[in-house]
Amino acid sequence: MTALATALADESLGGRVWFYTNYHCNLTCSYCLTESGPKVARRELDRATVLDLAREAKDLGFSQIGITGGEPFLVTDLPELLAELAGVLPVLVLTNGTLFQRALLDRIAPLGDADVSLQISLDHPDPVANDVMRGPENFRKVVEAVPALLALGIAVRIATTLEDGDADDLPRLCILHRSLGVGDEDHVVRPILRRGRAETGDMGVRARYLDLPPELTITADGAFWSPFAPTVRGGSLDTDLLLSRTVRPLQRPVDAMITVLSGRPEGADSTLNIR
Amino acid sequence: MRDASEPGALPTPGGPRVRLLDADSAPLLVRDHFAGGDPGPIVASLAQVPELVGPTLPFLGAVLGPSWIPLREKEIVILRTSAVMGCRYCTDTHTVVALDSGLGRDEVRALRGDLPVAGAFSDAYERALISWCDAVAFGIESDIRPARAALDADDARVVELTLLVATTVMLNRYATALGLPVSVDARARLAEEAL
Repeated sequence: MTALATALADESLGGRVWFYTNYHCNLTCSYCLTESGPKVARRELDRATVLDLAREAKDLGFSQIGITGGEPFLVTDLPELLAELAGVLPVLVLTNGTLFQRALLDRIAPLGDADVSLQISLDHPDPVANDVMRGPENFRKVVEAVPALLALGIAVRIATTLEDGDADDLPRLCILHRSLGVGDEDHVVRPILRRGRAETGDMGVRARYLDLPPELTITADGAFWSPFAPTVRGGSLDTDLLLSRTVRPLQRPVDAMITVLSGRPEGADSTLNIR
Repeated sequence: MRDASEPGALPTPGGPRVRLLDADSAPLLVRDHFAGGDPGPIVASLAQVPELVGPTLPFLGAVLGPSWIPLREKEIVILRTSAVMGCRYCTDTHTVVALDSGLGRDEVRALRGDLPVAGAFSDAYERALISWCDAVAFGIESDIRPARAALDADDARVVELTLLVATTVMLNRYATALGLPVSVDARARLAEEAL
């Protein structure tokens, strides 16, 4: 058994490989890890690269694909990419859920028959409180998008990112996501991570690499320890959780990941519920 | 994000041309290199591409570090090559190393091009070695041939010395292109020695 196979089997390494398809976003969230926004450099991974690496990931024994950004649905051909990726491995896409107008819903309708899930961010049961963190009209667009996506047969999860004090509102948020058709098992709650714009804004919890579950993450800037790793602060990429600049063949960053994992203290695991 | 060159280093004009990583920004694979403090600008810049650090540092250590060729001889090669290549970082840094390796102040000044070599080095082999360095660093075949003929050294020695010159040239280009800063300690020592 290879070191990678062992790590995947004993879950010391997550089975999902993440891809940052892009870094730009239509929103400018106050706690964004990557300082994403409409005017930042796109730093896109091209479709062929993502597909090739996904196939390599499957061959190496990984079991799932994750897509994040930036807002992935700003990438022009994302629906087609997702359909192709779903033919390789199950896909989870992290999205802000604000772009699902009729035209986009029509384009992603075929994904209802594919193994593609969307994880949509929704932080607060009150529109005003939610939109303060995430931007104008965010709440309305999300609560409209979720039922529309479910109606297409596309699985939806809700991700809630909490700052201290917000937990009191969680029961009302759970009532809301259930009313939208998303069960408790598909509701992810996690703290704001003190990186990127959150660190600049003095928000969130500080995490060491030992606090972040290792999941190989590929970006245009290289391979990283976790999807929470390729963060940006003051316009500069954080390199503390960088594994390698080389991402192809995928074995290269895998080897770097295994090397780091092998030096990890015994019993190290996430303590901050950062998922 | 802090710049590793901030504390205690004299920047080249305009400063380093890449961000020098520090202990806080060092990638996972290379953190050990920062555990004992500032590892110097070569490592701090190489860390930008962590997968290069692993193969590169052992290579540099094998070529530039202690070996069967005496340290004095190796420092003559490194300092002379750096000086003729015009690398400020390597010349200043290895001036200090050369002094610590037992070379005299006038010898160092001659290697830096501030004094005639013939007056500072009485040993014929060392003079020939310096000519060999000059020829190899500039890479002109018509100069290399007579320089090799004048150098009384066996093939193994020539191979290692040539690799030493070539590796030094590589580092000279690297340090100059990236504008790596000379440490404050090295600058202080140079001032102390009036160099």
